Amino acid sequence: MALASFETYIGGRSHLHSWTPRLKLVSLGLLMFAFAAVKHLQLVIPMLGITAILYGLSGLPLSFLRRRLRYPGLFILAVVLVLPFGSGETILAQLGPFALRQEGLMMMVLVVSRFLSILTLGFVLLGTTPFLTLLRALRSLGLPTVLADMTLLTYRYLFETADMLSTMQKSMHLRGFGHRKRWLRLEGKTLLQLSGLLGTLLIRSYERSERIYKAMQLRGYGQLKQAQLVAKQPADSTSLLLTGLSAFVATGFVIAEITLSLSIR
Amino acid sequence: MHIPDGIVPVQVCAAGYAVTGLITWYSLRQISKQGNPAPQIPKASLLTAAFFVGSAIAIPIPPTTVHLILNGLLGVVLGYFAFPAILIGLFLQSLMLGHGGLITLGLNAAMMGIPALLSYHIFQLRHRLGRNATTPFGIGAFAFLGGFVGLALAALIFLGLVITTIPANFNVDAERTAVFTLMLAHIPLAILEGGFTAMLAVFLQRVKPELLTGK
Repeated sequence: MALASFETYIGGRSHLHSWTPRLKLVSLGLLMFAFAAVKHLQLVIPMLGITAILYGLSGLPLSFLRRRLRYPGLFILAVVLVLPFGSGETILAQLGPFALRQEGLMMMVLVVSRFLSILTLGFVLLGTTPFLTLLRALRSLGLPTVLADMTLLTYRYLFETADMLSTMQKSMHLRGFGHRKRWLRLEGKTLLQLSGLLGTLLIRSYERSERIYKAMQLRGYGQLKQAQLVAKQPADSTSLLLTGLSAFVATGFVIAEITLSLSIR
Repeated sequence: MHIPDGIVPVQVCAAGYAVTGLITWYSLRQISKQGNPAPQIPKASLLTAAFFVGSAIAIPIPPTTVHLILNGLLGVVLGYFAFPAILIGLFLQSLMLGHGGLITLGLNAAMMGIPALLSYHIFQLRHRLGRNATTPFGIGAFAFLGGFVGLALAALIFLGLVITTIPANFNVDAERTAVFTLMLAHIPLAILEGGFTAMLAVFLQRVKPELLTGK
């Protein structure tokens, strides 16, 4: 399992890096929702433009975006490639049995642009904010303690659990598991062995969690009041300006979208 | 079976967040009713990590492999912790692997999490068997139902969302064929998921029975 690329934070000194995390989270979230609401092609260029400006301001390298977009990009292409051939009535070109349709093509451009913009903003957020800071920001915005603690602990033990599974799988292969393959056939014995593998992983994790809880208790877990844990960082003027601009742009997109919808009717 | 960002209308994404918020609140309320949740948190977190990693286990059906969703199994093992676990798992998955998305997180969590809670309740029905509740047959049969319903319901919600949000001018015949094919393809997968859940529940009952919620 490719978990090595999880830490997405790239250090830097840009304004986006120093943007107060909770304000950054809210602002970029607003922009992402505003972009998700875009339904008219006229708004695609401004949407991509604002995304590019924010990415430029973040100072993140293009290789980061390229690397991060590779897998989800392939997935979305697989999903939307059918649109130009299955949606719409205006035929632009006939490619053998397939007809390339204008409405479907426009829909594909819209979906891919929305997808790219939202995902890029997500990467700007993750690339300029360490995961733990992001979690603290979520906590200060009212994320329940149970969810925050669970996210932190899951994140903390994810890599070790992945390593444990990898070791167990290697051991299975060394003992001969998976060496015999029967085409188009699932063997009950294989399923039983794999269920045993996951079952053992669950039991080991469970037993480990009991030891971890005891260690956490000894360090005072659950003794502090939550108000002591969530100290809000004051916002500086640049952060406030960036937040105001983001809210203005997001509102602008929503108003433009509504105006365009009304003018077409 | 993740819905990526940019495909479904924003109203549907917002509704997804609203439903997820409501169910998370309900789940956390049920968890706090069971007493101090602190001792349960490390347990639920490490099991969430194990499920997250375990969903990458490839089931070989040569020449290909399939990956299980495990949402029914999550319900069977974690009970009301299953919904927060799924929400966290999907959040990490969208950050780590680019699966799903941040805008569609609520929608994906509701799609996977509601069936998981239903699976938990189905698995709890085994107590009505009385003495037979802890026999391999009792555990296996209800775990199978839990696993099967978990995936089947998630697939139905997914297909429902696809049908209702698909472009209006999409070719009706092509849409019907695609949806029908997808529905058919999910039946063997739901049986596989149910079978795997049953085998695992019987294994846990034999080796570590306290792991199964409600014992």
